[in-house]
Order: sequence, then C-alpha cells, then structure tokens
Amino acid sequence: MRFDTPAADRVTAAALFALGAAMSWGGFVMDRLEIRQIHPASIPGLVPMILGAAMMLCALLLALSTRGQTAPDTAPQGNWSDFAFAGVWSCVFALLLVGTLPFAAAAAIYTFVFAGWFTWQPAEGPARNAKQLIFIAVFAIAVAAGIAALFRYGFLVRLP
Amino acid sequence: MDALNALFAGLGEFMTPMGVFHVAWATLLGILVGSLPGLTATMGVALLTTLTYTLDRDSAILVLICMYVGAIYGGSRSAILLNIPGTPASAATSLDGFPLAQRGQAGYAMALATAGSALGTLVGILLLVLLAPALAAIALDFGSFEFFWLAVFGIVISGQLTGGVSPLKGYIAGLLGLMVAMVGSEGIHAHVRFNLGFDQLNGGIGLIPAMVGAFGFAEVLTVMWRRKAELSTEELKEDRVLPKLSDLWRYKITIGRSGIIGTLVGIIPGVGEDIGAWASYAAAKRSSKEKDQFGNGSYEGLTAAETGNSAVVPGALIPALTLAVPGSAPAAVLIAALFIHGVRPGPMIMFEEPTFIYSVAAMLILATIAIAVYGLSLTRLFILVLRIPRELLMPVVFTLCVIGPYALTQRIFDIWVMVAFGLIGFVLRQMNYPMAPLVLGIILGDLLDKSLRRGLTLSNGSLEPFFTRPISLIFVVIIALSIVLSMPVTRRAVSKVIGTRSGAGDVEGPKP
Repeated sequence: MRFDTPAADRVTAAALFALGAAMSWGGFVMDRLEIRQIHPASIPGLVPMILGAAMMLCALLLALSTRGQTAPDTAPQGNWSDFAFAGVWSCVFALLLVGTLPFAAAAAIYTFVFAGWFTWQPAEGPARNAKQLIFIAVFAIAVAAGIAALFRYGFLVRLP
Repeated sequence: MDALNALFAGLGEFMTPMGVFHVAWATLLGILVGSLPGLTATMGVALLTTLTYTLDRDSAILVLICMYVGAIYGGSRSAILLNIPGTPASAATSLDGFPLAQRGQAGYAMALATAGSALGTLVGILLLVLLAPALAAIALDFGSFEFFWLAVFGIVISGQLTGGVSPLKGYIAGLLGLMVAMVGSEGIHAHVRFNLGFDQLNGGIGLIPAMVGAFGFAEVLTVMWRRKAELSTEELKEDRVLPKLSDLWRYKITIGRSGIIGTLVGIIPGVGEDIGAWASYAAAKRSSKEKDQFGNGSYEGLTAAETGNSAVVPGALIPALTLAVPGSAPAAVLIAALFIHGVRPGPMIMFEEPTFIYSVAAMLILATIAIAVYGLSLTRLFILVLRIPRELLMPVVFTLCVIGPYALTQRIFDIWVMVAFGLIGFVLRQMNYPMAPLVLGIILGDLLDKSLRRGLTLSNGSLEPFFTRPISLIFVVIIALSIVLSMPVTRRAVSKVIGTRSGAGDVEGPKP
C-alpha cells in the first residue's frame, strides 16, 4: 500500500474540495453579528470563506495535476504490520488507557506491550525468554515510574 | 557598541553554575535527540517546552535554544554513520558524510561537521545581532495591510520551498494550517467558529498538542513503518576526530557563504534548516574547484551542508523575535514557548525587552560552544547512542508525547488533539505534503484573519491600501512572482533557460 500515487491524490483532491466547500459554506452562513453593529468587512466568516475557496481551487489543481501521471513502479519501502501495531496500540494507550488507569500503570503496560511485541523472540529458549521478559518489564516500570515522577513531583502536574 | 555591551551582559548573565548546567544538559539532550533518526529538532523543542513550565523565563528559553541548536547539529551523526539524516536538516550532510564513513573517516567527517555547525551558527548569530534590531525597526511601520501580506508571503514561500517537486502540496498544507487556526474564538469579536459542538474547541486548537502530534506521534509511526537501519561498521576504525585548521582555512569562503545563505534562508518564514543546507550545498558545488568530489565524500560539501543548516537556527529566530513569524518549524514552537513564558515577540520587542535579542544571541553562543565541546570530545559516545533499539526508544517518546501536551492545560482533550494530528501528519507525510507550511499556517492564521478584517475596516471595505502602500506592494509583487514561478509552465521555461546556460550537473534538491 502506498499513498503517493495519482489515485491517492485524486481521492485527496475530492476530500479537500469537500473540506473547502464546507468551510466556505460555514463561513457564508456564520452569524454576521448585525445585532452588534460591526463593520460588514469584519464579519467572522470572511476569512473562512476565502480559505475554503482557495482550498477548492487547490484541490481542483491537484486533481488536474494527476492527469497523465502513473503510479511509481517501485515497491513501498515500509513495514505496514509494524506500523499497524504501533499505531493501534499507541491509540489504545492514549485514548483508552490514559484516563481509565492511573497514568504510571497505563504507561508501564503500554511500554511493556510495545517493547515486548517488537523484541520478543520465541525461538530462543525458555531461559532466554524469561530473561528477556524480565528486562522488558523492568524497563517498562522504570520508564513509567520515571516519567510519572518527573511530571508529578518535578512539574507538579496532576496526572490523568 | 551598545549591542556588544548587551551581548557581553547577556553572556555574563548565563555564566552562572546553574546557567552552565542548563547549557550542558540541554545541548547534550539536543544532540542525542537530533542524532536518533525519527527524533527531530521540532519534536525535541516541543516536548522540552512541556518540561520547562516551572523554570524561570530565561532558563526556560536558554534550555529550548540549546535543544534546538543541539538537535540540528546532532542530525549529522546518523547522516554520517547510517546514511539516514537524524533530522531532515541533515539530508544534504549524508551525501558526503556517509561516503566518508564508508572510507573509514567517520570521525573526521563528524569533526568537520562539528566545525561547520559551530562556525555556521556563529555567522548566523552575527547576522542576528546586526539584522534583528533593524528588522524590528522596519516592522514598526507595518500596519494591518502589511501584516496580512506578511502572513500570505510566509505561507506561499514556505509552501513553495518545502513542497519539493510540487509546490501545490506545500500550498495545500499551508491552507490546512490556516483552516485549523480558524477553529475557536476569533480575535476581533470573540465569536466562536467551527467548534463542531465541542466546548473544548472554543479556545481553538493548541499549537503544542498539534505540534507534538504532527512531529512526535507522526515520527513514532514513521520510524516504526520504516525498515530498520543498519549501522555502518566502518565508523569504528580509528581516525582523526579533530578538524584540521588547514582544511577549515581552505574552505573559509565556503563557510562564510554557507553561513550567510543559511541565515538568509532562516529569515524566510517557515522554510527551515533542510532548505538552508541544500541551498548552501548547491552554492558550494557550483563554485567549487572539486565539483566531481561532491557526493563522493567531499570535505567541502559536508562543511557547506552543516554550516548552512546550523546558520538557519539564528536566522530563523530573526523573524520569530521581531515579527512573531517563525523562520522554521522549531522556531514556531519557540514562539509558543516565548508566549508561555511571558515574552511577546513582535515589532515591539525592542521597546518592551530591549536587551532580549542580545540575550538570545548569548544563549546561541553558549549552545555553540557546547556543541563544539561535545562534538569534538564525545564522538564515540554518539556512535553508541545510535545503537539504542527503536523498539525501546519509541514507547518512551510516545509516552512523553501523551503527557507533555496534557501537562500544559491538564485536559485529556489535548491528548486527543495530539493523536489526531499524529495520524493526519503521518498520512500527509506519506503523500509528500510538507509539515512546515502546516505549522506556519496554524501560527499565522490568527494574524492573517485579524489583519485582513482590521485592514478592511480601516479602509471602509476598500482593497486599495492592500495594493498601494509601499511595503504591501513589495509583498504583493514577491508573492505574485513566487506563484507564477512555481507554475509548471514557468518552471519548465526557467529550467530550460538555466539548463542552456550552465550545462549539466546541478545538485538534486530536497526530496518531497
């Protein structure tokens, strides 16, 4: 999967055009504050209308610029499975664990699972695996405790 | 003479044990951040901003500037050893640095990079001290009309120079940033716009959560997406880690020219260190007697790239301090940090804080001394740092990305903003949209909005003053020329003319 293709640009152009149209419309129907007798040139929706129109123009140009272009024939450089795990697990941590669990516990679980997922080598034998798990657990606890203590006691932040 | 006195006074102010301690740890941290691929200067400054809330004003700004200087310099480490720029600013460095490392001259390449960075920053500091007060004086004549065009100029130039082969994507990124800035209470009538029913959006989208997301979380995702880098084995060979004075003297013109180019690039809003490095590298290659060595381990090419990117740092602070318009993405975070710590950058700075610019110059000098000391003495330590596995580093970075923005306002909502910007930032990077115009748009959106509406109110709805006042007219001409020159038809015609004049063999520009 890659995002730097003409097809992706065309989809983006459509999305950006919709965004520009929505912002222009939002600016157009925005309260003009007549009741406050403001100068008509200073209505709050003026700049959003202009920006929306500019975005629609750029989206059109983007769509036009993809004509005649072909997708790059090189294979994508990245590793999407690593990305997917890192992205999903990081979102779970930030959006679900933080605020539900005490911050230090959430950070320790996040770090342990993240580091464990990428460094775990099951074929290396039970003794080595146990050693590896202990290392990751100690690392996760140290990271979580260190960051939590720094913000809680160093910067007097009430942690989530 | 007053400037010199103020500079020495600034230096004296920070030469306390605590000041030296802050310089030492912040610069070292900056070098480590910059040297690790995936950790950028912007991310470092953004995350460190969240750690400076409790410091006094001068210490906080000193720490952030040391981080900025250190991170831009630190990017050369991985560019030389891994052929992966630690920060985008070091992309040009890898062209000659990595071939030198492959020849077993990694230590000498790093020594040259250190010398180039230190000298480049010093050239930039000199120009900062000379130009910033003058620019602040000129900016006093700016009214709403000029500030409107300044904001447009920043977006257009930043979009054009960072958009790579497609300036259109740079413009779109800038427009997206401006759109983000439209969210929340506007600055003239306090009317809330586009809050989508979320009360938390009434105050707008915070710059720090957005920056930490776009440069922190997006970097974490990008690093995990990329294949693992292999560390060059050649770097461990014994070789010289101090630069030869004869080499530096031989490249004195290159250093001076790259320093000036880097500083001037830094002054252009939202352009940044990578363009400074590429422009300096291209200029050095054009005038070099050893053009064929460029790209194959040229000392001159390496020196030009490093001098150029480091000189951008003081350059980027010139508009940041005098116009509140950032010259680079890390400078944008610095502006936010200045506001947090009670400094109001802008044309009035020379009246409200007449010695502040010289204090900043003093901070830059101390950071430069620190990078020279660390760069020449801790070469082997930095090689070890590059061996930290990304699987252990990235969860630490992301945990800081989560808690940092939260610490400022203590709102969970800011964590959501950070995550949203991280995901959007990752997708935009994959699609070759530059991040600098997006950030600049968020910063300049309020200025552009207020200036246009104030200007129109002052002129009773007439657009005429926007085009007839002298400074406005200059901006209009530059913006129009920039847009015309960025059109494919014009670019083809210009490159044809340049091609026939100079023949082949110019430098490949920054990849989008």
